[in-house]
Amino acid sequence: MNRITTVQVCDATKLIYIQKLITKTKIMTRIETSFETLKNDVAAFYKMDKHHFITMNGVDLGNDEIEYQWFFCDYEYPCAETMFVAKANANVMVPSIREVVEPAWVAEAELSDLMGVEIENADKGFMLDVDSDEAPLRKKKK
Amino acid sequence: MKSFFDAIGNLFKKPVTTEFPVQQTYIPDDYRGLIVFEESLCIWCRKCEMACPPGAIVFSQDIETGKQEYHYSPYVCIYCKECVRACPAPGALLQSSEPGHPGLKEENLNNGWNKLFDESLESRAAYAAEKKRKQAEQKAATDKAKAEAAAEAAKQNPEQPIE
Amino acid sequence: MATQYNIPVGAQHIALLEPLHFKFTTENEKIMKAEANVGYVHRGIEQACCSKFKFRQVSFVVGRVCGLCSISHTTCYSQVAEKLMQLDISKKAKYLRMLVIELDRIHSHLLCLSHVAENSGFEALFMKTMAYREFSMELLEAVCGNRIQYDFSIVGGVTRDLRPDVAKMVLEKLKIFKPQLDELVDIYSNNYTLGLKNKGVGVIAKDDVYRLSAVGPFARAAGIPIDVRNETEDTLPWKEAGFEVVTETTGDVYARNLVRLKELYVSMRIIENVINGLPEGDLAVDFKGFPSGEAINRLEAPRGELFYYAKGNKTQILERLKIKAPTFSNVAAMVHGFHDNEYASAPAIIGSYDPCLSCTSR
Repeated sequence: MNRITTVQVCDATKLIYIQKLITKTKIMTRIETSFETLKNDVAAFYKMDKHHFITMNGVDLGNDEIEYQWFFCDYEYPCAETMFVAKANANVMVPSIREVVEPAWVAEAELSDLMGVEIENADKGFMLDVDSDEAPLRKKKK
Repeated sequence: MKSFFDAIGNLFKKPVTTEFPVQQTYIPDDYRGLIVFEESLCIWCRKCEMACPPGAIVFSQDIETGKQEYHYSPYVCIYCKECVRACPAPGALLQSSEPGHPGLKEENLNNGWNKLFDESLESRAAYAAEKKRKQAEQKAATDKAKAEAAAEAAKQNPEQPIE
Repeated sequence: MATQYNIPVGAQHIALLEPLHFKFTTENEKIMKAEANVGYVHRGIEQACCSKFKFRQVSFVVGRVCGLCSISHTTCYSQVAEKLMQLDISKKAKYLRMLVIELDRIHSHLLCLSHVAENSGFEALFMKTMAYREFSMELLEAVCGNRIQYDFSIVGGVTRDLRPDVAKMVLEKLKIFKPQLDELVDIYSNNYTLGLKNKGVGVIAKDDVYRLSAVGPFARAAGIPIDVRNETEDTLPWKEAGFEVVTETTGDVYARNLVRLKELYVSMRIIENVINGLPEGDLAVDFKGFPSGEAINRLEAPRGELFYYAKGNKTQILERLKIKAPTFSNVAAMVHGFHDNEYASAPAIIGSYDPCLSCTSR
């Protein structure tokens, strides 16, 4: 059961080196990044015929702080998963990775509706109707 | 061309439909049906109520005697058998193979069950509050009796000769 | 310069299985552009699982996200919860889970094939495929107790055992089904008029699959062998039970039909191996404690790759649960696949995508 462990990396060049070392066993890599370096990190990592984009997620940590996660997976055996993590305040606009990873517009449209955050160039009204509750996945203040 | 001959041949074959209800469809004998309760074997631990996913079992409590009563709604139940697996007393809860019946409007299914659920929880909270109040009263009474006995003993003490 | 018309194929339409909205821009009956809108069936399941239900009850809630792939959701959630609690389940439970997943795949693929035939105009083949599908619903009722919502996997194992007379019935009915499947493969691949409607229609090439990250029979019909069952055997032993990947090369509606039909042969082989080699063991494991940390899990549903992410905080209720359905990944590729096709073949293309909107907008 312990074949899934996590490794923390925070530099784009270190990241490519560690990918080569660990593709022999199935380990999920967790890479901490920030909004300023997000597009460069993803562009350095993502190759169209080696990885596929799974989805994008957000976790509400309370006090208006949200942790965003982007998931990728290899095509090659043993198909290890990679996770990019970035923390930010709920009022800051999230950069979009649409120029690097084309199918990301669907996940960004869903997350901006359900979490009530602003994402660059995202469509509104993709998932929720006009008269539904606002931002249902955020924690309610009592 | 082959499908043309197949189509003509199909005119003379027997149709595939089963003539329900004249001819019965397949029913297995361990079909998931309604839940059956045996009151004599129950130990009143309420683990089935905590395990039920849609909340179809609820226990209410009488405020005077503290005796619990079991309520079950066959219309909210999803026949998943979690209550049978969670019960520590074997035989108290069983699943039969009887399918659920359709509900009638006179039985007041949704609002009636919601009201019963809320009232049962309130009756349990009221019984717990009443028990606490009675215990506090008893404790106050015993404390008072002890204090009086100690005062009596203290009064009699100075009358005795001091050595 | 011809005029352009905007035509909506609305949320309610006679050719659609599920409520999905497309807006086409057409010029001289050829589709130039398409836009999609999902979210008609949004019920807020992720928010309910993190506020109202305890973590053991969530497997019953999650099984009601979709009616066709209910076993995939319950099994994937049970595996994620077992990773959070660090449990090991018995080999018998793993084999029984594989048995029900493959029986579910048979009934789901036959349903999709019959809808493609109906949307292409061949209604007699729709009826024939549905008649051949009925045996799998009876088998699922005998194994799991219900035809659609199985409630079969729980955290720690499975709920029901396989009786010997039920095992015998499964093997007998599969023997009757095999010549019927040969007949269906013959019709779907050699019928002339069906070929006119299906060959060269709705083509998605290999480069587009890589660029748009499509999953499931979509990607396998274009020649890329991606399948979650082909990876390391962390959670379920697929290769031991005889699994092989099925691919085609052309990437059109005809290739997707053949991929789904050939996968049924692989499923039948896995079911026979599982029943003949079922090991002894417990059905479910007793455990105490609360989940903490985070974990992810992926599983192959009939429509593609299903993904779960869960995070616990040492209480009975989970902190966050994220579900990604296979049709959600395919929305970008679906919108692209309409380009340069006739408007009259749009229903057949939508049928071959096999959209499951209940999973997408949960």
